Amino acid sequence: MPTQDLTIAIVGSGGDGVVTVGDFMAQAAAREGLHCMKVEAYGPQIRGGESSCTVRISAVPIFAQGDRVDVMIAFNWADFGRFRGEILASANAVVLYEADDQTPREEVEPHLGTSEGSRWIPVPFTRLAKETAGTALAKNIVTLGVTAELFGLAREGLLQAVTKKFSLKKAGVLEANLRGFEAGEAWAKEYAAQVADKHLEYTRGEPMLLMSGNELSAVAALHAGCRFFAGYPITPSSEVLQFLSEWMPRVGGHLVQTEDELAAIGAVIGASFAGVKAMTATSGPGLALMTEMLGLAAMAEVPAVIIDVQRGGPSTGLPTKSEQSDLWQALFGSHGDAPRVVLAPADVEDCFHATVEAFNIAEETQLPVIVLSDQFIAQRRETLSIQTLDHEVIGRQVPTAGELADYKRYRDTKTGISPMTWPGMKGGEYQTNGLEHDEAGRPSSMHVVHEKMNAKRYRKLRQVRDRYSFFRTYGPENADLGILCWGSAKGPVKEAVLRANGRGEKVSAFVPQMLYPFPNHDLRHYLRGVRDIIIFELSYSAQFYKYLRTFEELPDGHTYLFKRSGGKNLTVGEVEDKIQKVLEIGALRREVLV
Amino acid sequence: MSATVGNVKFKPGDYKSTLNPVWCPGCGDFGVLNALYRAMAQLEIEPWNTVILSGIGCSSRLPGYVNTYGFNGVHGRALTLATGVKVARPELTVIAVGGDGDGLAIGGNHLIHTARRNLDVTYILMDNEIYGLTKGQVAPTTPTGDKTKSTFWGNPEPAVDPCELAISTGATWVGRGFSGDIKLTTQLIVDAISHNGFSFLNVMSPCVTWRGDDQFKALKEILAYVPEDHDRTDRREAMKYTREKGVLTTGVLYEVKGPSFNDRLEEMKQQAMAGRSEPTTQEILATFFPKF
Repeated sequence: MPTQDLTIAIVGSGGDGVVTVGDFMAQAAAREGLHCMKVEAYGPQIRGGESSCTVRISAVPIFAQGDRVDVMIAFNWADFGRFRGEILASANAVVLYEADDQTPREEVEPHLGTSEGSRWIPVPFTRLAKETAGTALAKNIVTLGVTAELFGLAREGLLQAVTKKFSLKKAGVLEANLRGFEAGEAWAKEYAAQVADKHLEYTRGEPMLLMSGNELSAVAALHAGCRFFAGYPITPSSEVLQFLSEWMPRVGGHLVQTEDELAAIGAVIGASFAGVKAMTATSGPGLALMTEMLGLAAMAEVPAVIIDVQRGGPSTGLPTKSEQSDLWQALFGSHGDAPRVVLAPADVEDCFHATVEAFNIAEETQLPVIVLSDQFIAQRRETLSIQTLDHEVIGRQVPTAGELADYKRYRDTKTGISPMTWPGMKGGEYQTNGLEHDEAGRPSSMHVVHEKMNAKRYRKLRQVRDRYSFFRTYGPENADLGILCWGSAKGPVKEAVLRANGRGEKVSAFVPQMLYPFPNHDLRHYLRGVRDIIIFELSYSAQFYKYLRTFEELPDGHTYLFKRSGGKNLTVGEVEDKIQKVLEIGALRREVLV
Repeated sequence: MSATVGNVKFKPGDYKSTLNPVWCPGCGDFGVLNALYRAMAQLEIEPWNTVILSGIGCSSRLPGYVNTYGFNGVHGRALTLATGVKVARPELTVIAVGGDGDGLAIGGNHLIHTARRNLDVTYILMDNEIYGLTKGQVAPTTPTGDKTKSTFWGNPEPAVDPCELAISTGATWVGRGFSGDIKLTTQLIVDAISHNGFSFLNVMSPCVTWRGDDQFKALKEILAYVPEDHDRTDRREAMKYTREKGVLTTGVLYEVKGPSFNDRLEEMKQQAMAGRSEPTTQEILATFFPKF
């Protein structure tokens, strides 16, 4: 009985080519039109150190990384040890490990989570590589041959990937690697029958795109008409800067890698003031530095888009791993009353729509907009259909000729939005500032002016809430159990909800993609249709749960919380486990009450 | 605005906004403001194609008093805003202004890097050797030993010479002026704006409130002009007029020609576009199909 859905994890040291194996598998799958999700994890070392790559390949759509892997490939059990508790295998997993590694199975198995149905196969990766390719370096290519044979991965695509990688190397390298691949295949033939249940079965479709959230955010910015980017390198957001350094000049735009994040947001505000759509991308520590000028953008009413790719914090925290703990910083970080909009993409494709929407909102309302992404969606690669990646683009409201005749930059309008000029527009000259100012932009410390202008600036949020309220729901309209989560937690929650629905359980989920202003009316409506609630989030101090409670009375005795630190992505298993427990409590309670 | 009287396109007064300066009577910054109006008129700068940006401080109020596009930003970040404006819109005339605390303490890092990049903007630093707006604390240019509101026992730190810093970090035009000499300062601003690349003008602009009338007098006594035979393209020669003792030399200290940051970005853009039209979103996305 072959499978339609296969998750493979590979663990090794930096030089083992783990990431290359994962990349080739993912690209070959995308070429076949399969659905694929690839997640990489590293230690903090710059070179070397442990690295892992998990690739989930499926003939049907998937929403989460596979939390229990079907196939575990270990070049080195010592490296695996450093991912203890982060990579778990299914009970009947196939474990392929380096035959030279003498670590006893009983030392590894408890951490891996396999049981009696599992199959442990020592593979002479290094020996085969040395014998056929003449170097141990080729062991990752041997691995490709082994896995292609055992699990039915697209052989043709993998071979082409190998050919492409090595064809420009010096003579003989490509041939050596191809021999390694074939040696892996030949060696694996005798085991194929043992692992037939893990053989992937699918029909070939149209090729898919393979992209990370960061890459998609960058493309989205270009799509939205962003022609200025300033940024400072910071993990895990640097891919946005890197991608745009190549592409921004190609579309006639400009990019500056600034001396720090203060300069990055300053340059973005300057460019936007000058009439050019502008963006920066950073992570939590960078957003902290930008916070003062986030207030400037709010006060001077300059459109600005800031992508915050969250990582574990506080301080330097866990730079390479995901967490959802910048929420409060994004929502409330600033001195004074500084309106802003916070959007939260929930998957890779969302990074496109949320980023374009961020520009639309910023330009229309002259507010800073934060796109709160995280490492999990920003750095994993996912297959996508090119057809769905389009989004309407909206520009800035400029004054009419009549309005220019008596131009007031901060005219107090019904919507709070005042038409905005930019340098080059004759008659539209104005002097703005971070000081409180009147409708003409003239500085004022008067209470009445401050009150009136605060009201004007906050009024703009109403336009956002009314027009952009976006959220997703999954599952039946009336449910025994409703789940609230945001951002990258959506993937595992959605998959768990759909599985539960498949079992006939009445479970649903509400996932807001706009966190500020919050779509509270939609949430209230949703809450009327559910009996119990679970909130899922990766924040130790439960920032999302507490945020919800600031404007919504969640029913006492019916509200459950799943929160923990990041550093390990939320898994479908964790969500399912909590769902089962709360469903049982609900059933018991009803039994007692009846 | 563009009404011409005789051959004059703009008069200095045309650049005056309706806002009255908050500066103390006798403040050196008035001299700089008047010199700026004159320089702009002389260069026939169109207000609507000009942006003046600043940080925070007494002198950073200046953009409000000029009838161009203006931005009084946050403390120390004038050059970051200017970077965005000038890179995004290279055709605009961009001038950043501020004081010694704004530009050399909290914003010092941006001065270094904007100079290094040779961004084509003019930066006018009004140097009064004190924090004026916050009422009299020690600044990076306050002489050692001076008693200020925050150095009760005298300033324990050596002062920085802004011109030395600008030359050493890559500014391609560096001058020193004195707000009491409007004619000189006007000419220096004209030169600075005309320069292609980062032009840094340090104008000694006394604070009558926190440094007293004496500062004006003391400066006048030690003021000198660069000799006519000064080779301003020679960095070593220029450096002779920094960290001076008992004399303060004004004029253009340093000037070299070369591509500005904007020139380099433009060249890069031409190379990247290679005469092709902008790629569409679909074309950019298509580069993410498996590459084999």
